[in-house]
Amino acid sequence: MKTTLSATVLLCHASIAYAQSDPAVPTFVEEGGSAGITSVYAGDWEYMVGGGVATFDCSGDGKPDLLLSGGKVKATFYRNDSAIAGDLKFVSEVSGLELDAVLGTYPLDIDSDGVTDLVLLRSGENVAMRGLGDCKFERANEIWGLEGGNEWSTAFAAMWERGATWPTLAIGNYLNRFEEDFPWGSCTDNWLHRPDAGGAKFTAPLPLKPSFCALSMLFTDWNRSGTASLRISNDREYYKGGQEQLWHLEPGKEPAAYTVEEGWKPLKIWGMGIASYDLDFNGMPEYFLTSMADNKLQRAMPAANGTAMAPTFADVAFKAGITAHRPYTGPEKKPSTGWHAQFDDVNNDGMVDLFIAKGNVDAMPDFAKEDPNNLLLQRRDGTFQEAGDLAGVASTKLSRGAALADFNLDGLLDLIVVNRREPAQLWRNTSTNAGHWVQVRISQPGVNPDAIGAWVEVKRDNVVMTREVTVGGGHASGQAGWLHFGLGDATKAEVRVLWPDGVQSDWQALAGDQFYVLEQGQAAKVWTPE
Amino acid sequence: MHAPHCRMARLVPTLAFALSILSAPAAHSASKPEDVLAIWYRLTLELVRHTPTYTPPVASRTLAYVGVTAYEAVASGSDDLQSLAGQLNGLTPLPARDKAEAYDEAVVLQAALARSVVHQFANTGPTGQRAMASITAKQRAKVSDGVAAEIVQRSEAYGQAVADHILAWSQDDGGAVIANMGFPLEYAVPEGPAHWVPTSALRQQQLPLLPDWGKNRPFAMPDASSCPLPPPPDYSEDPGSAFFAEAKEVFDTSAALTPDQRAIARFWSDDAMLSSTPPGHWISIAMQIQKRDQIPLAQSVDTLARLGIATADAFIGGWNAKYQYNLLRPVTYLRRTMDPKWEPLLITPPFPEYPSGHSVQSAAAAAVMSDTWGDDFAFEDATHTDDGMPARSYPSFWAAAEEAGISRLYGGIHFRAAIDRGLDQGRCIGAFTTALTTRSDE
Repeated sequence: MKTTLSATVLLCHASIAYAQSDPAVPTFVEEGGSAGITSVYAGDWEYMVGGGVATFDCSGDGKPDLLLSGGKVKATFYRNDSAIAGDLKFVSEVSGLELDAVLGTYPLDIDSDGVTDLVLLRSGENVAMRGLGDCKFERANEIWGLEGGNEWSTAFAAMWERGATWPTLAIGNYLNRFEEDFPWGSCTDNWLHRPDAGGAKFTAPLPLKPSFCALSMLFTDWNRSGTASLRISNDREYYKGGQEQLWHLEPGKEPAAYTVEEGWKPLKIWGMGIASYDLDFNGMPEYFLTSMADNKLQRAMPAANGTAMAPTFADVAFKAGITAHRPYTGPEKKPSTGWHAQFDDVNNDGMVDLFIAKGNVDAMPDFAKEDPNNLLLQRRDGTFQEAGDLAGVASTKLSRGAALADFNLDGLLDLIVVNRREPAQLWRNTSTNAGHWVQVRISQPGVNPDAIGAWVEVKRDNVVMTREVTVGGGHASGQAGWLHFGLGDATKAEVRVLWPDGVQSDWQALAGDQFYVLEQGQAAKVWTPE
Repeated sequence: MHAPHCRMARLVPTLAFALSILSAPAAHSASKPEDVLAIWYRLTLELVRHTPTYTPPVASRTLAYVGVTAYEAVASGSDDLQSLAGQLNGLTPLPARDKAEAYDEAVVLQAALARSVVHQFANTGPTGQRAMASITAKQRAKVSDGVAAEIVQRSEAYGQAVADHILAWSQDDGGAVIANMGFPLEYAVPEGPAHWVPTSALRQQQLPLLPDWGKNRPFAMPDASSCPLPPPPDYSEDPGSAFFAEAKEVFDTSAALTPDQRAIARFWSDDAMLSSTPPGHWISIAMQIQKRDQIPLAQSVDTLARLGIATADAFIGGWNAKYQYNLLRPVTYLRRTMDPKWEPLLITPPFPEYPSGHSVQSAAAAAVMSDTWGDDFAFEDATHTDDGMPARSYPSFWAAAEEAGISRLYGGIHFRAAIDRGLDQGRCIGAFTTALTTRSDE
C-alpha cells in the first residue's frame, strides 16, 4: 500500500485552471481487447434488456474487479490486474459467479461480514452469491433464505431499513416471458425481500402490487427525511394502467405507492435506467431517467412554506441540455434508445457529468441503429454539453449496462460498457487536462459495513457536493467501492458523512489527489494504492 | 346526416352465401373465419399501441388498409358483399378467385390478414415481431387442420394476393413512410400570436406532428378538403371577445371538474403509445359488439372496413384543416392571458388545435356505426378496463362521439369550436363512407 501515484499524472492534473466556462474534454483510450475483456452479452429476445456489469474489489487491492453479465452464456469474472496509473489489464478467472442467464449484477455485503457478496438477476432463478474472500463466491440462496423465483428479473435495489440487521432487497421483474402471443399487460410482480424476524435471513418475498415491468430501481431518500423510498422506472411498452413509481417504505409497514393526492405526478415512459445526484448543490438529488427518444431529468419542486415536501418533480432535461434524444454523430436522425446512466465527474472539474449507454433494442427501424453513447459534461451553469465523440467513447454498438470507475487508481474515472452480441468495451481515462480529485471509501462497524444509505458531502471552494450512497439504479449494473469527487482547481477539500443511523460526522480536511478511508467515528485515513 | 336506415338489419347471410360454403368440394377448416378476424384485430390493436410510429393518424391509415384487406378477402367469396374496388380512391379490381376451384374461407382470411398485419407493422419491436410470428404459425396450423393441402395452398395464395394488391395500393397514398415518429426535422412554424407553438419540454416535439398528413390521398371522400371548416373565432386577447370566452370556458371548466368529467377526459384520452389511439378505440367498440352479438363474418368485415376508412379520412380531413388554421392550444393561450402556471388535465397533443381530431374521427366513426346498427343502439364500452378504467355505457353511438368530443374540453386541450365543428366535419366525412356500396343487394 505504499506505492505512490504517478507524479506525472498528479502534476498534470494540478496545472489546469477551472474557471473556464466550457468543461475540459477528457480523453479516453479504448483498451478492452488489450486489457483482456472479451465478454459478450449474448442471446435473443430474452436478453434484449439487461446486460449489466458489477464493479467491486474482491481481491483487497483497492482496484475494482469486474463481473459481466453474459445473458445466454455464462457471466464472466475478471480480476483487475492493472498497474497503478498504468494500462488497464484484467484476467478472467473462475470465481463461482459463472452462471448463465444472468442479466444484472449488483454487489453489496449482505451478511455484513466485510466481504462483498453479489446478487445475480436472471431469466429464471435469481441467485445470491456469498463472498468467500479472494474473489471466490458460493451460492447462498438457501442459507440466506432468498427465494430466487423463476421470473425475468431486470431491476435491483438494496438498503438496510432503519434498525435492521439484514438488508432489504427490491427485485424488479419484467413481463411474463412465456407469453408469446399477447405479452402486453403481463408484467409480473416485483418483490421486496425483507429480513425475517431473526434478522439474519430473508422472508418470503412480498409482491409489490401493482408492478409495471421495472427496468431500474433505486432506494433513495428523495426528500431527505431520513427514510428512503423506492423509486422504480418502468417500461411502458408492456404495462397497462402503469406509470413510474415511488413507494413509501417505512420500517415494519407495508409498502405503499405514492399517490396523486400526495403530489406524485404520473409519468409514463420507456423507463430503462435511473441515475441520481445532487446537481444543483442544494442537498437534494435530481433523477435522470433513460428512455427512448427524450430522456428525463427530474428535479423535486421545493416545498411550499410550512409544508412537507411533495413528491412532485419537474422535467428539466430540455433546459439542462440532456434530453439526449437522438444521435449526435453520423447521419442518423432517428430517436435514440437509452439504457444505463451514471453521474460522475470524468474531468475532475468538480461538476458531475453524465454517461448514457445507448443502443437499439435490437433492430427497431424507427430508432437509431448507429446510436452513440453519450458523455455529457456539466458546465458551471448546470447545463451540459456533449463530448462523447471528442472524448473517444461514442461507441455505436448496442450498449446496455456500464460503469464509470477508477480501474487503475490514478484519480481518473475509466469506463466499461456491456454490449449486446458484441464484446464489452473498456476505456482508460488518459486525460491530461483533468482537475484534482479525492476518493473516499466509507465504512461503519457492525451491520451494513459499507454504510449504504449514507450521504457523503465534500466541500470544495464554497460548494458542497452531496452524494447518496446507494445500491441499485442504472441499468442492470451496480458498484461498490470508492466514491469519487472531482475538485477542479482546489487542492484540498473537506468531507463529512451523514451515516445511515442519522449521526453526522464533523467536517474533516482532506488533501486533494488522495484516497481516504472514512470509518465512522474515526479520523479520515489516507489509503495509498500499490 | 344521421343514416335513416340500419344496414345491419338487412345484412344477414343469404341463401346463396350459405350454399357456397355447403357445396364446397372438399373438407373445410374447423376454425371459424370469425375467430381469425378477432385474433388478428386484437393483435392489431396491441401493435398500434406498441409500435412507436403509431400516432393516431398513422393508426387510422393502417386500420383502414387492414380493414379493406379483411373485407376484400371475405367479399371475394361472398354473394352478399361487393368489392370496394372502383369506389375507394385508386383501388383497382382485386385478383379474382378461380370459380372452378374450392377455397377455404378461414385459410383465405388468415393468409390475407397475416400478410397485411405483418407488413403494416414491419417496424414494430422484437416483442411484436415475436407475437406476429407466433400467431401466424399457430393460426395457420389451426385453420389448415383437416383441409386438403391443395385447398390450403390455393387459399393461402389467394389471401396473400389480396393483401399484396392492397399493400401495393397503399404505397403511394402519402402516408407509407413515417420518419422520426412523425415529427419533422424541419418545418416552418407560422409565426403570430394565434398560431401553434410547442407545448411540451420534449425535444422531439418542438415541431408539430405529421404536418403533411392532410395532403394524403383519402379513401372514400374525394379529397382532403371535401369537408371544409369555417375558421375558428378570430384570435383575440380581449376579454370581451369570442375567442377569450371560449378560452375562459376551458379555464373555468378545468377549475371545477367533476369526478365524472375527469373520468370522461381520461376515458377518451386514447394517447399514442399508451392506448390503441382514438381510431383503435372505435374499432374496439365494434369488436365488443360483434363478440357480444355474435355478428356474422360478412357484417363484421363490412363494419370494420368502413370504420377504418371513415376514421382514416377523418384524420386526413382534420389534419388538412389543422394545418390550414394552425391555431394555438389552450395551454398556450391560458398561460399567456389568465394563469402562467395553468395545467391541463391531459397532456396537450403536439400539433395545432383546430379542429379536434378526436371529435372529427369520432363523429365519422359514429356515422358508420349508426349506419350499421342504428341511431339508438345502446352499448357498453369496456375498451380500457385493462388499464384500470371502468366501462362506460352509451345510449347511442352519437352520444359516445359527443362525449369523446367534450372530453377534450374537460381535458383542457381543446376549445369549444374545435369540438363542435370537428363533430360537424366528422359527420360530413363519415357520410362519404356510409355512401359506399358494400352489399350486393344495394
